[in-house]
Amino acid sequence: MLKQAEEILSKVPSQVDYADVRIVQQDSEDIATKDGVVEALESSSSQGYNIRILKNGVWGFAASHDMSETGIDATIKKALTITEASLKHKTTDVCLDDWEAVKGTYKTPIKEDPFQVPMEEKLQLLIEADKAQRVSDKIVVSQASYQANRERKYFAATNGSRIDQEIIWTGAGIEASAVEGTEFQNRSYPNSFRGQNQTRGFELVRELDLVQHAPQVGQEAVNLLTADICPSGEFDLILDSNQLALQIHESCGHAVELDRALGYEASYAGTSFLTPEKLFEFQYGSPIVNLTADATVPGGLGTFGYDDEGVPAQRTYLVKNGIFEDYITSRDTVTKLHEINKQYNRKSNGTVRASSWSRLPMIRMTNINLEPGGEDGTGKAWKLDELIADTEYGIFMSTNRSWSIDDKRYNFQFGTEIAWEIKNGTLGRMLKNPTYQGITPQFWNSCDAICGRDEWTVWGTPNCGKGQPSQVMYTGHGASPARFRNVKIGVVKW
Amino acid sequence: MYGKQKLKQIAENVLKFSKADQTEVLLSVSGNSLTRFANNEIHQNMAWQNLGISVRVILGKKIGVASTNSFDESSLKHVVERAAELASFQEDDPNFESLPEPLKYKTVEQDIAFATEEELARGVFTVIQKAKAAHFTASGAYANDVSEIAVANSLGIFAYHAGSSCNLSTIVIGKNSSGFAADVARTAKEVDAETVAKTAVNKTQESADPADIEPGEYEVILEPQAVSEMMAFFQWYGPNARIYHEKSSYLSDKMGQKVFGDNITLIDDPFHDLVFPMPFDYEGHPKRKIVFVEKGVLKEIAYDSYYAKRYGAENTGHALPAPNTLGPIPLHMYIEPGNMSREQMIKKVKKGLLVTRLWYVRVLNPKALNITGMTRDGTFLIEDGKIVKPVKNLRFNQSIPDALNNVVSIENKLTQLASFEGELIGLAPTLHIAKWQFSSGTLF
Repeated sequence: MLKQAEEILSKVPSQVDYADVRIVQQDSEDIATKDGVVEALESSSSQGYNIRILKNGVWGFAASHDMSETGIDATIKKALTITEASLKHKTTDVCLDDWEAVKGTYKTPIKEDPFQVPMEEKLQLLIEADKAQRVSDKIVVSQASYQANRERKYFAATNGSRIDQEIIWTGAGIEASAVEGTEFQNRSYPNSFRGQNQTRGFELVRELDLVQHAPQVGQEAVNLLTADICPSGEFDLILDSNQLALQIHESCGHAVELDRALGYEASYAGTSFLTPEKLFEFQYGSPIVNLTADATVPGGLGTFGYDDEGVPAQRTYLVKNGIFEDYITSRDTVTKLHEINKQYNRKSNGTVRASSWSRLPMIRMTNINLEPGGEDGTGKAWKLDELIADTEYGIFMSTNRSWSIDDKRYNFQFGTEIAWEIKNGTLGRMLKNPTYQGITPQFWNSCDAICGRDEWTVWGTPNCGKGQPSQVMYTGHGASPARFRNVKIGVVKW
Repeated sequence: MYGKQKLKQIAENVLKFSKADQTEVLLSVSGNSLTRFANNEIHQNMAWQNLGISVRVILGKKIGVASTNSFDESSLKHVVERAAELASFQEDDPNFESLPEPLKYKTVEQDIAFATEEELARGVFTVIQKAKAAHFTASGAYANDVSEIAVANSLGIFAYHAGSSCNLSTIVIGKNSSGFAADVARTAKEVDAETVAKTAVNKTQESADPADIEPGEYEVILEPQAVSEMMAFFQWYGPNARIYHEKSSYLSDKMGQKVFGDNITLIDDPFHDLVFPMPFDYEGHPKRKIVFVEKGVLKEIAYDSYYAKRYGAENTGHALPAPNTLGPIPLHMYIEPGNMSREQMIKKVKKGLLVTRLWYVRVLNPKALNITGMTRDGTFLIEDGKIVKPVKNLRFNQSIPDALNNVVSIENKLTQLASFEGELIGLAPTLHIAKWQFSSGTLF
């Protein structure tokens, strides 16, 4: 296939400034069970290619599933026609950074190929886990899900880059919903919205041990029906790592996307309060807050060998000792940043991906991580038990239920499935309908303790939406439980 | 574009290869162009085309689905075999009875329009020029979508429909304000780029220098875009047979009961003059106009073939593509218009907020149907019937049923609102709601 990508590239007229070709094959398996019965069992395959051309300082992009000679010729012609339409209204030139050509291969290291595990075994595991959640007749819906994805990407560019990659990711989870009268509660394991997902094989699913955890999931959903409502006020908040992962995603990950900060996503996803003049100066968080974009973390859902512009995977500090240090970038946005902020002279840090062959590659989160306590500049490596014992009064929240943030990434509000009250250093009563709200930099500046690497998990977020047309991307977030002081809690009552 | 005959031939091949008890094939053709702009220039300009083939195979009461985007003979054989293999691994679904039988569906005149790259760029340029003239920056997208859908099954269904749309939307950004506008039509010639530009520029000017405002309970005028964003979640979690019968819907057990105010009638009409028609659902079952809520009383909910047979109800033609874990969902639902103009409605507000759009709306509790989100791109204070000043954006936490039980008045017309990629059109009027809960502010 890499040879075919080269052949397509060779048909692009030589007068272009730059061109690249990506051939992508995607295979996936999805299983969803509901109430002990398989509700969805699907196997999908999709293959196609795209041609991205930079000519006279403007981009053109065309994609097709038609890999015949006439199909390829038509796609190249379309991409060139598009550059001509853009050229008529050009105001500035697109410039690429000077990343040199790369020749490489990458394959996700896995122990057990999920596509080779017998389907009967997968179904049995899910149905057993689904049924094991039904610990009470108050459970009205029990569900289990599994997904496996394999993406083969072949990349050839006029600068000489030649890359082939195979990314595999797998995920699974369970969820129980309980109803009593008008009260509705749900619990998930190990995380809400499709469980845990990582660039790993079926070994991840086995490690999750869904069946073993299922009864507790069902019981907690039932217990929540009669739990007390989360109190309202400004309290200390400890976030479990699965909720902190989404907090990072929304209030840091999207905020550091350079295309957003430069206004290129203003029409849909919005912009960012982290504007370029804030680089190297803005106090984003407290001194122990260190956030990284790291596409090299083993198992991270945003882990790969090379991005879709042929730039190698990297680890970059976004926030170091609380100070805003960098964006996640692409080859054509860093050159814009060079013009705006003369102190910034870095090349792309390799975060560009497309969700399929038919989509334009754009800046996407890789693994955006809060570095664990006990490491360079992150303070003490707390244990969760110690952190609770050190909290006089507070709320411990786990597992996301709702999320929302404004279009500059300032005002956020999250709800979680469950919470517990902390009184005099002890975890007490279970609380339902917990919510908290804040303003991003104020919130991160209130972080005073982060648990250590022993409790650090790279959570997968497989449903990150961005761009027009919409692209759903898989991203990762390393996090361990952390404490935030004086947060507005219980902002909604129902 | 493949055309009806070519798609029928592909579908027949798929059905011919299958030895299953029942087989269904869904063919989705897309040919899309999209010109995106930001900072007063085109930055993403693209086109793509695809043919998706999804096969659902039934062995007794076992179901498997496989999909591909290759339609050579070996790929079609493989996708059928794969679907059958998946079905064979299954346990019986005791609630499954059959794929739907063929029924006559209303045919709709084909009306396909391809826009050229130059037409899209010209529309974009019109917006950019207007924004520049006002010393603002424009961003947005101009999309042309052409689609074909064909559904066939071994019981004799073959349904085909083709359609197209052009959708121009923009956000114009000023020093400390922004304004949104959009237009959607069948052809690029019908899209009014001048008006889109003017509306967005005016909103940006009007919303400049927004004042701080205390969160709390306010009367609101929700413009059509905001109404549509609120009602999206009602579409998913409201009249949905799966959720209704799970007792997880606000509407569960309330058939025939008063659920909203007397002035609320909710209609799903895939043939409304202002929408892009959809004559059948993703199982090939005919669609029709349905009144879900009439004068506040729940009358019907949405079913597909699975839930209709399971609960002994009539199939209302609301199937999504298989496998569907979401349940049957209405895609053409709107609130019946009232009898006042937008201006008359504003005059009736003593102290309230005019909201152009909502943003990042999420459900806090699907059964209670309470939602959170932000205002965006133009929020204004109304006092004694007059818009007095722009205000900074606010976060709301609001129950949809509470809102629909407190509607003071409804605009006398519906506005067309394109879905994100333009392939569906929603309709919404402006609403005057007596109570809306704003819980916190933001910094802009």
